[in-house]
Amino acid sequence: MNGEADAPRRTALLARIGRAVGAPLFAIAVSFVLGGLLMLALGKNPLTVYAALINGSLNGWPNLSVTLQLTTPLIFTGLAVAVAFRSGIWNIGVEGQMLMGALAAGIVGYAAPLPDWAMAPASILAALAGGAAWAAIPALLRAYVGVNELVLCLMLNPIALLLTGYVSARVLKAPGPTNKLPDIVDAAHLTTFTLYSQLNSGIFIALAVCGLGAFFNVGTVRGFEWNLIGLNARFANYGGVRVRRNVIGVMLTSGAIGGLAGAEQVLGVYGAFYDNFSPGYGFDGIAVAMLANSNPIGVLFSSFLFGALNSGSSVLQMELGISKYLVQVLQFIIVLILSARFTLTWPIRRKALVAAAPTAALPTMPPAEHGAKEA
Amino acid sequence: MDNVLVSMRGIVKHFGDLVAIRDATLEIRRGEVHALVGENGAGKSTLMNILYGLHPRTAGEVRLRGEPVTFAGPAEAIRAGIGMVHQHFKLAPSFTVAENIILGAEPTLSSGRLDRNKAERETAELSHKFGLDLDPRAIVGSLPVGLRQRVEILKALYRQAEVLILDEPTAVLTPQETAELFLTMRSLAASGRSVVFITHKLREVLAASDRISVMRQGRIVATQDNIGVTAEQIASQMVGRSVLLRVAKGAARPNGEPALDIRGLSVRGDRGALAVENLSMTVRPGEIVGLAGVQGNGQDELVESIAGIRPLVAGRIAICGLAPPASDPMASRRAGLAYVPADRARVGLSLQSPIWANIAIGHLSRFRKGPFLAAAAARRHCRELIEKFDVRGASVYTPAGSLSGGNQQKVQLARELTRDTRLIIAEQPSQGVDIGAIESIHRLLVAKRDEGCAVFVVSADLDELMSLCDRLLVIYRGCIVGDIQAAEADVEEIGRLMGGSGADGEPLRTTVTA
Repeated sequence: MNGEADAPRRTALLARIGRAVGAPLFAIAVSFVLGGLLMLALGKNPLTVYAALINGSLNGWPNLSVTLQLTTPLIFTGLAVAVAFRSGIWNIGVEGQMLMGALAAGIVGYAAPLPDWAMAPASILAALAGGAAWAAIPALLRAYVGVNELVLCLMLNPIALLLTGYVSARVLKAPGPTNKLPDIVDAAHLTTFTLYSQLNSGIFIALAVCGLGAFFNVGTVRGFEWNLIGLNARFANYGGVRVRRNVIGVMLTSGAIGGLAGAEQVLGVYGAFYDNFSPGYGFDGIAVAMLANSNPIGVLFSSFLFGALNSGSSVLQMELGISKYLVQVLQFIIVLILSARFTLTWPIRRKALVAAAPTAALPTMPPAEHGAKEA
Repeated sequence: MDNVLVSMRGIVKHFGDLVAIRDATLEIRRGEVHALVGENGAGKSTLMNILYGLHPRTAGEVRLRGEPVTFAGPAEAIRAGIGMVHQHFKLAPSFTVAENIILGAEPTLSSGRLDRNKAERETAELSHKFGLDLDPRAIVGSLPVGLRQRVEILKALYRQAEVLILDEPTAVLTPQETAELFLTMRSLAASGRSVVFITHKLREVLAASDRISVMRQGRIVATQDNIGVTAEQIASQMVGRSVLLRVAKGAARPNGEPALDIRGLSVRGDRGALAVENLSMTVRPGEIVGLAGVQGNGQDELVESIAGIRPLVAGRIAICGLAPPASDPMASRRAGLAYVPADRARVGLSLQSPIWANIAIGHLSRFRKGPFLAAAAARRHCRELIEKFDVRGASVYTPAGSLSGGNQQKVQLARELTRDTRLIIAEQPSQGVDIGAIESIHRLLVAKRDEGCAVFVVSADLDELMSLCDRLLVIYRGCIVGDIQAAEADVEEIGRLMGGSGADGEPLRTTVTA
């Protein structure tokens, strides 16, 4: 690339990074300030609380390993949501897709008559398929009937919870008082490598999937097309991108990645499918993806932030007598501010298009519209 | 001068950082038709919206009958005697003509109820007085566009407007309706009112106005009496340099099998009714065929079905001898179609994406290595095209949305015309494009014709079609009702066809030329 071309490229890149990082950092800063005011109102010194949070999540390998363990599922679910958001699709059903993936991994992990070396890969594949299958329901209904996937995904979450609950409490229940499937065989376990937490090799899978996702977005034709669908579906259709088929592809991919989150939990953390095991990783994934502006590399950072907050929160209760839900308040404020920014861009949109269009990675229109247009 | 009705001095208007009007000065005299011309974005509508009270001005002075005035909103401007008819009519379609006219200024009975009889009587009197024939009881939604415009004008007159502002009033009219509108404007001026007529069509300016003010980049750059002025002079004032209005081109040499061959096509519109009905037409390599018609007569649906965006109900579309499966844009493109859509913002471009991505989508087969995207090659290609098509002030990373209309159109053309293509469909190629850029866009289309491409142009601007095209088709209610060599074309005749009457007064059915 010649020097003359480098300058605009560098400027454009810097501007993009500035835009991508600016808003999330602002949201985080504001949420910490508001959270601090809340702590003052509770009669606590915010600095002490934040110090405890940081200490409890990052100081020393025991704390850090718990943080990383809690980060891992959020990388998967955040990435799953980000894949869909980037294409303008509101897949907020990752929680359900994760549960179905976990169930599939849990069943294959204890019951598949396979040689040892194949147990873990087979369980992971089952999780991919389980997540994708659950995502196929809204994908097909959206593509062929024009149903709004947002509502559908949301409704499928409790259905997945109850369905997996039924299977683990009645159909395939392990003997004993707990509603769970039988333990997976040893060969199906992901390697754990610390005594302090359930951190396991799943985190490397997560990092790899993130890297693949980042490359997919910028380096492949499909990634290019999926982004165009998100930015302007009618334009993509006009340009010869088969929108309907690709929207199904996006949903299945998103669901499969969501299923991986379930596999990591079952094969790496719990060693069996437990009913109701998720504290809402799939929903946190929405916040993670929003904070990351649907960028896979951004997902790494934002899931680490959320993981650290979750991990530090247990210390709050023990050391300072503050409810651990304070951390959720912080997370919700972040999401709130990010969505406020999102809404605020609407009135100035026309002007923004004249001045400098932001590279919005969040869906900017009700996605059912382009489905309907195409149908 | 006491015959100055409105005087606007040193008007400045900022929209945030954007300076829409910088130091514009305009005087409107009693009893004149004053044309306000300029390119898109020159600030014509904004200036008039300031007069009408829609926008507060940032600086400057407005005087009405010598008195300084500031209107907080249109209601105050209307009370002061200023009326405006916008490009998009603001009428209640399910109400009658009389009801629309009195809406907001209703005559009432002593009981407080609406005095319908009085409303209808006054409407009838008013329309009689100004020679604007209208049935006061007709439902507005059932009226043709030209008559709806009359309702808007009467509505302003009912409110005692002394200054009537018409924003691009001819955009939706047939030539006959336009001629009638000009008569109306003339009679309003004769009654002592002032008419301000916003347009960018030069022929109309010369035909209809007493004085002409030209706007460029937020300034009034010239005001002149319409005596001995030529279209070229006005165009030069609009652009700031001399321009060539006629399209320079040699004779067409159509040859070979049609590149576009449509037989018996029927297509539904968005509302489910047939928008195109049993339509047949052809475009051969080496000719530019124009589609003339009043907007909303099936042009959009016809083009979308050729482009594979809209499903067919019946019929057959062959592109370069191939019949791609319907509703598959990819297949239509592979068959050799290049399509420049009118709706750049929603169909033809992704405004948030950089230019290179907007161009790459038409050429993905060139810029892929297996599943991988050769982005660097796409950007290199884009850089060449930016240079070749003279897209001003842009790098490959510039988002398409930050370009001007003309430059956006050049990006579309750069993408479409450089594909390996035999058939080009250009929809409203000069809409929202500066005069200077129109010149080069027309030259590009003529060059493609001379290379042996078939070119099909759909435009709402009859002047453009007549100067650019070799052959004209006229569409009326989804049927081709006329097929005329452009050299022999007569505006009157085309206007009659556009309005739905053939030479003998009866609607023609489809004519086919092979």
